[in-house]
Formats: sequence, C-alpha cells, structure tokens
Amino acid sequence: MDLVLQLLFTGIGIGAVYALVALGFVLIFRATNVVNFAQGEFSMVAAYLMVVFSVDLGWPYWLSFLIALAGMALFGVIFNLGVYYPLRHRTYLPVIIATIGASILLSNSVLAIYGPQPQVLQGWFDTPGIQLGPVYLDSQYLLIIGVTILLVLFNFWFFEKTLLGKKLQATSQDKEMASLLGISVSTMIMITFIYSAVLGGLAGILVAPVLFVSIQMGSTIALKAFAATIIGGFGDVAGAIVGGLALGVIETFGAAYISVPYKDGFAFLVLIAFLVFRPQGIFGERVAEKA
Amino acid sequence: MKLTRREFSAGLAAGLAAPALMRSAWAQGATIKIGMCVPVTGPAAEQGLWAQNGAKLALAAVNKAGGVLGKQVELVIEDDQTTNPGIVLAFSKLAAQSDIVAFLGSIRSTQVQAMAPDVIKVGKPVMIGGTNPDLTHSGNPWLFRFRPNDNYSGRVIADFGVNTLGKKKWAIVHSTDAFGTAGGKALTEALTKLGAPPVLDQGYANQSQDFTPVVLAVKQSGADVLGTYFTFENDLGIFARQLRQLGVNIPWVGSPSVVAVSSTKLAGPALFGTYGVADFAEDSSDTAKAFGKSYRDAYKTAPDNQSAWPYDAITILSAAINKAGSTDPTKIRDAILATQKFAGAEGEYNFDKNGDGLHGYNVVKNDKGKIVYDKHIDFND
Repeated sequence: MDLVLQLLFTGIGIGAVYALVALGFVLIFRATNVVNFAQGEFSMVAAYLMVVFSVDLGWPYWLSFLIALAGMALFGVIFNLGVYYPLRHRTYLPVIIATIGASILLSNSVLAIYGPQPQVLQGWFDTPGIQLGPVYLDSQYLLIIGVTILLVLFNFWFFEKTLLGKKLQATSQDKEMASLLGISVSTMIMITFIYSAVLGGLAGILVAPVLFVSIQMGSTIALKAFAATIIGGFGDVAGAIVGGLALGVIETFGAAYISVPYKDGFAFLVLIAFLVFRPQGIFGERVAEKA
Repeated sequence: MKLTRREFSAGLAAGLAAPALMRSAWAQGATIKIGMCVPVTGPAAEQGLWAQNGAKLALAAVNKAGGVLGKQVELVIEDDQTTNPGIVLAFSKLAAQSDIVAFLGSIRSTQVQAMAPDVIKVGKPVMIGGTNPDLTHSGNPWLFRFRPNDNYSGRVIADFGVNTLGKKKWAIVHSTDAFGTAGGKALTEALTKLGAPPVLDQGYANQSQDFTPVVLAVKQSGADVLGTYFTFENDLGIFARQLRQLGVNIPWVGSPSVVAVSSTKLAGPALFGTYGVADFAEDSSDTAKAFGKSYRDAYKTAPDNQSAWPYDAITILSAAINKAGSTDPTKIRDAILATQKFAGAEGEYNFDKNGDGLHGYNVVKNDKGKIVYDKHIDFND
C-alpha cells in the first residue's frame, strides 16, 4: 500500500506537469485550429529565463519568477506576430510547419546563447519535501499539483464567468460569427498566445528544479503532453488536465508493476488505444465531417 | 597562329579551372586532416563540447611540436546530433573527403555500433571512446579504443564493492542502451564470479523524467550496495536526488558518469560519498596532472574523461602516423597497435590485438563535491 501511495503521488505530480503543457496546446488549438509544436519550447525558454534572472543575476526568486512570466507574455506576443499572424489566412498545414520551425529555432538559439550545459535551478522551497507516514512528498511536486488545481479553477472562472473568457470561447467556436458580433478576432488570438506562453512557461519553471534546465527538457514533456491532449479529447480544457494526470499515473504504475524500460511505451500504447477506439478522447464529442 | 573556336573554348575552360585545381591540390597537401564526429547538438552537446576541447588541446600541442609528417594537423568537425542516424550521416560526410586520414568517433557505444559497418567499408582508422566490449571484439579492424572497456569497469566496480567495501547484496541499475546493457551484463558476470550475484538487475530508458519506480525497486530488493551504468548525467541527477529523497542511502559504486563534472554539479549533495570508476582521474599520474593543468588554463574548468580520451586519441594517432611515416591506413593501424607503455592522460596505453589501449580503471570518490582519487586497478588480460 505504501508503494501504491508513493507511486500515485509521483504519477499525479509528473501528470500535472503534462497537464499544464497540454493546457497550452489545447488553448491554442481551440483558438487557431492548429497544434503548436513549439509549446514544449515555451517551457524551456521560461526555465532559461528563470536561470538568467535568479541564478546569473541573483535576483530574488519571486521577482525572477514574475519577470520570467512577464517575459513569457511578451514572448507570446512575438510568437503570435512572427509565426501565426503572417500565415493566419492559410490552411493549418503551413502554420503547423511554422511552429515546428519555430521549435527548432528556439532550441538551437538557446543552445547558441547559453551553451549545452544543463543548469540547476533551486526549488521554490528550502525544504526538499516532507515525509507523510510512509510516503515522501516532494515539495516541488506538491507545488506543481497545487498550481494545477488553482489553474483548473481559474480556467473555469475565466472562460465561463468573465466577458473576456466568453469572447475567447466565441472566437474559438466561430471566428466569422465572433467578428460579426464586434469581437476583434486577432486580439483574442493574441491573448490566447500570451496565455499559452505564460502557461507553458509556468510549467517549465515549476518542473525545472526536478528535471534540471536543459535544451531538450521541453520536447520530452511536450511529447507526453501532446499524447495527453489526445487522450483527454483535443480541444477540451478539462480533457487536457484529466489526460495529463491519467498519463502520469498510468506510466508510473506501468513502470513499477510491468516494466521500467517500457515506461514511455505505456503512455503511447494508451494513446494508440484511444486513437483506435475513442479518437475523440475522454471528453471530446464525435464531430461529423461536413459534406 | 590561328585559334579555332574549339581550341579557344578549351583554353578558356582550362584557364578558368586552373586556379581552382591548384587551390585544391595545395589544400590537399598543406595539412593532415583528421575527421571528428561529435555531438554539437542534441542531449550530449555538452559532452561534445568537452570532447572538442580535449581534441583541440592535443592538436595545438602536436602542431606546436612540428605537426605530423612535417605538416600541420587540421581537425574537421561534423555534428552527430547525439543520434545514431546523425553519426552515420556525419561519418559519411567526413568519409567523402578523401584527404581525411583518420577519424575520431563517439564516446557512445550505441553510436559507434551504428557507424561500425561504414567504418569497415571506408577502411581507415577510427578512434573511439565507447566502452561496450563488443565494439573491438567483433572483427572490425579499424576501431581503436582510448578508454578501458566495460569488462574492466564491471570487474573494478565488483572488486571494489565486494573486496574493499565488503558488500555482497547488489542492486544494479543500468540504461537499456548499448552502453548500459553491456555494462550491466559485465557487472553481473563479475559479481557472479566473486560469489555475489545481484539481487536486482533493473534497466531504465534514457531521458526518463521520473525514477520513482526504479528507486522503489532498489528499496524493495533489500540490496546493501548499488552499482550503476548511467548514460546521461541528467538522468543520473534526477535518479540520485529521488534515491536520497526516498531514503535509500546504501553505498553506491557507479560507472564514470557518477563522478562526471556535470553530474556532480547537477545532483549536488545527493552524490556525496559515492564511488565511481573513472578512466580519467587527475591525480592518478603526472601526465593526467599535466593535462589537467593545461585544460584548466585553456578553458577555466576541470576536465573529465569526455575531454581526456580525445586528447589521448589525437596525441597517439599523431605519434602513430609519424612513426608509420605515411598516411596509409594499414601502416597507421600497425603503428597504433604497436603503441606500448605510452603515458596518456587516461592512463598507460598498451594496445592489444583487438585495438583496446587501456586495461584498468581508477576508483574515485565524491568527497563533498570534490572528486578524490582512491586507487588504480589494472588487469593483464
């Protein structure tokens, strides 16, 4: 039982990281109908910003955190203007390829600027974790889980209760109709990119003390997060969260009870099973192709 | 004399081509070229940088001492992207340049394995750092190893843990790539011979974000000592921290990555007190000390095996070409194999018929973040 609880905690912790990145995928997909393959690099860039401010410049942790997130908001604007906006009237394919290109550009730019050495970023708390009976709770994972819960609540409030959230939803559902109603579609998409960049950045900063800060940290998380969005139902906010958590738990238990080397295999086995038997994911609705 | 149009065209073409031909002929003769496949991008880009540093340091020394066959030596670097397809591509790009006389391959066994068939086709000497024993024992005459292979690391880890630390219940954790699998196997064999077969043999896939299941398996196995073969320092750092967090504090004797500069920095106190076998230990010999000093002077950081083996490879390869008196691949091969009692940064090189230069390891300890030399164990076979 001790073992199960320990695995459950770790699984939920790592799953929460996938969920945060998956949320970024989903928001951009809803707004633009495009998968942003640079979402993982958003996390990596934010983690490096954090290293620059907190480690290299020696600024206080909370200040570095706020400035790094502000930096990510600005980064979202630049990404939107540089990658999405020029191609917004094209089909989804050129945009997807542009995001892949941006992802390669970002990781290699960071490599060129910062060099290949992985960096250490301290966690938010001085205590590495707490021992609760037989289970060790890593403080950083606790923080990640806490932030994920808060974000779920925030998202619900933001998208359901605020005018801006409703405008964003309207834009994602039908851009032409939203435009006719006086909503500035390009502003809404800009806001979506900003929010996704901040979310991805938040995931990167939170996970950096656990996984270290390296060029490839984003791509490994993003791959799992992408799988999580498909499992949860592409385009569904709750689906991204549930998909991420489910994936984290499944792969942790699969590794512990079946095989460690095939840990990644379980995640993708679940993904394939969903694609075959329930392609719309857990929360997705079956969408019939228009004739 | 009257020029026909055809003669004029031929003359013009020859006139235009001549400078280029002369330049290429001059370029071919001006330097001795050594190709180097190294990760410039990808997960091992960091180690790749150190390998380049080591090679360049040796290159500068060789050129300062008059070069090779009276010419300066030039290093042609190609990015292997830390992937198997990447190194195959990098090697074929380099091999296409016929004036490259020899190559430096990877420190990663899996990548050496990927490029090995092409190495046989090209038929020129390739210096490697991969430690999977099979690489030099599969009939490929062109691979020369500048690090001791894992038969030795496994034996040294087992010998040190069982005879020096007095521990008999072993848990082995290893990567499932070519390096980790072979290392785990070698350690298991060595332990079995010493009458202490491991109670746990646990593989993991590279680039894992979480090692909780592995740590719990170690904990449940009841082992009193841990032996590891980790490929990437990132993975090792995450594992080390989780191991300590989940309360596993048994002695730990690992492959060289445990005592690598990068792991020591990433894992911090989680690696304090661990032992590692290291092919490079700065205090193990005068040559190693001298290399350490010049490396520090040049790059302001401590060297490790990632930079020591390319340093030795360039030094010994250059000496071998000089001794062979020619760039003929077979003559270079014979000269490398004839290299005996050569003091390198990694240890004393005595090449055997398989192309293995080193036959033992240093045992070092992480003493509160400082890597301290403990002892050297050499084998005669």
